[in-house]
Amino acid sequence: MSALVVYSPQYQLYNFGPRHPFSPVRLEMLVDLLQHLGHPLHFVEPTQATREEVRSVHLESFVRRVEAAGRGEYFPDFVHYGIGTADTPIFPGMDEAARWLVGGTLTAARMVVGGPAKEVLQLGGGLHHAQKDLASGFCVYNDLSVAIRYLTDQGLRVAYIDIDVHHGDGVQWIHYDEPNVLTFSIHESGRYLYPGTGHTHEIGKALGTGRKLNIPLEPFTEDESYLEVLQMGLEPALRWFRPDVLLVQCGADAHFQDPLAEILLTTQAYAKIFPLLRQYAAAFAGGRAVYTLGGGYSLDATSRIWALLYLTLQDLPLPDHLPEPWLRRWGMQLGHFLTHTLFDPEGAYPEVPRKAEIERRNRQVTERMLESVRPYWN
Amino acid sequence: MLVKDVMNSPVLTVEASVTLEEAYHIMLQRDIRHIPVMREGRLVGMITDRDIRLATSPFAPGGAKSTAIPVEEVMTQPVFTAEPLDPVEEAARVMRERKIGALPILEGERLVGIVTGIDLLEALLRLTGVEKPSGRLEVCLEDRPGELARLGGELAQQNINIHSLLTYPYGEGTVNTVVRVGTLDTRKVARSLRQKGFKVQWPPEIPSKSL
Repeated sequence: MSALVVYSPQYQLYNFGPRHPFSPVRLEMLVDLLQHLGHPLHFVEPTQATREEVRSVHLESFVRRVEAAGRGEYFPDFVHYGIGTADTPIFPGMDEAARWLVGGTLTAARMVVGGPAKEVLQLGGGLHHAQKDLASGFCVYNDLSVAIRYLTDQGLRVAYIDIDVHHGDGVQWIHYDEPNVLTFSIHESGRYLYPGTGHTHEIGKALGTGRKLNIPLEPFTEDESYLEVLQMGLEPALRWFRPDVLLVQCGADAHFQDPLAEILLTTQAYAKIFPLLRQYAAAFAGGRAVYTLGGGYSLDATSRIWALLYLTLQDLPLPDHLPEPWLRRWGMQLGHFLTHTLFDPEGAYPEVPRKAEIERRNRQVTERMLESVRPYWN
Repeated sequence: MLVKDVMNSPVLTVEASVTLEEAYHIMLQRDIRHIPVMREGRLVGMITDRDIRLATSPFAPGGAKSTAIPVEEVMTQPVFTAEPLDPVEEAARVMRERKIGALPILEGERLVGIVTGIDLLEALLRLTGVEKPSGRLEVCLEDRPGELARLGGELAQQNINIHSLLTYPYGEGTVNTVVRVGTLDTRKVARSLRQKGFKVQWPPEIPSKSL
């Protein structure tokens, strides 16, 4: 059975303004591309998350300030909650808009638990930086953690997998001491990239120890090395943890075109990653998985990567060329050339001189991570 | 950063008359290596796990001492100490020069804390570490007045908060500056800094990238 898809046009209300990288144009382009690909689209309408659902993860003081900011009110301590900063500026209705994204991920989680689907794709959300009392890195409310809280409240064991190029710090810290939540984040090293965390020594605390896993990658990591250490680190963890459900944050910013980071994946890598994660869900989680979007700031790359995700989960064939009308429309609108094929051309970026060294270091860091968590696996 | 910001308080102490065996058991139980020794409420020495192991070792010059003797017979005295308002780096210098693992902290005559090598590593981690989600900028500044202010001014103008700042001499007449900033989009910041003539080392410029 192919995955059900959750989407609402209301997601586009989450908009920090025309100059902000986390742009709703990403969704508009993606949905338009899916329409142009010619397969019938069926979206499940999510319900907006309630205040209480948001409060299952976020502090009252924080939620009150997000609500007030969205109404145009002012608290002098907004900045301590990450509100009104360069990354998460205030916009009217930000509480309602953020609750739509949370609602979508929660709806997807409910569908997986309740029965209509084993696999659900939420075409939005993935706001992994938001902490219980802090808006951060373009993220206001943490839809992923609200969904995880819902799933663990049902008595389920959740494996959270984060392939966004930035460390999934919000999700990690919120569930840092929880035994029923495995978090696994593979990202560009915090030595170089925001948010600065996600080192191998962050392995959880108390009952959560050994259940928070991080693979910090060298800048300029390429497809083969990424796939190698992803499998090397993730497979044994899932084999041991035996989750009831996977929650996957599919940020698309590890692509070489992404303007905000330094990892060099091509869409060919994503065409291997998504089926791999699906196999893991089948092998270790009874086939149950929720996939969300996430970061991704090259419009050209995100459209193609998330179309790939959609097609993979729907068991649809992957086209070679992208639809001409779509290319024309968005090429004109954005005023620059768009890649015409789903897959990246050969030699799309210059050769990396340190390639062998990068591969060696990624392997070593993954071994170090496994060494530090394995003693707690029993 | 001051000694009072990193010291351990309150401090566990022993009386000078306590035996080596008792002191050693306290160290094992509490997972510590240094205990200040007191007599009538005043600091008179320091006893460490190394002092005890050496004194009772068969390799000790003059032979192994009994574990039943009081700590005052093997403790180090007089003791090097520091004060709560001393800068951390001064405590670090004393410990490195004297090759000692811990400093009792005195306020006048009163023992108020202890600083160990581990606490100094903790201070180093806090100085260089990531206490808040932040991006990393590395800028090579000319070593002359006003350059750091110019950098700070540029960041302030973009409403970007500085979480931490570390500078060190680097090459001829330049100072490398590592700034942890409250933004995910460090590329955008780097771009505007380069336009203003700053030499940005990280994030790198990647001219071949097409959007």
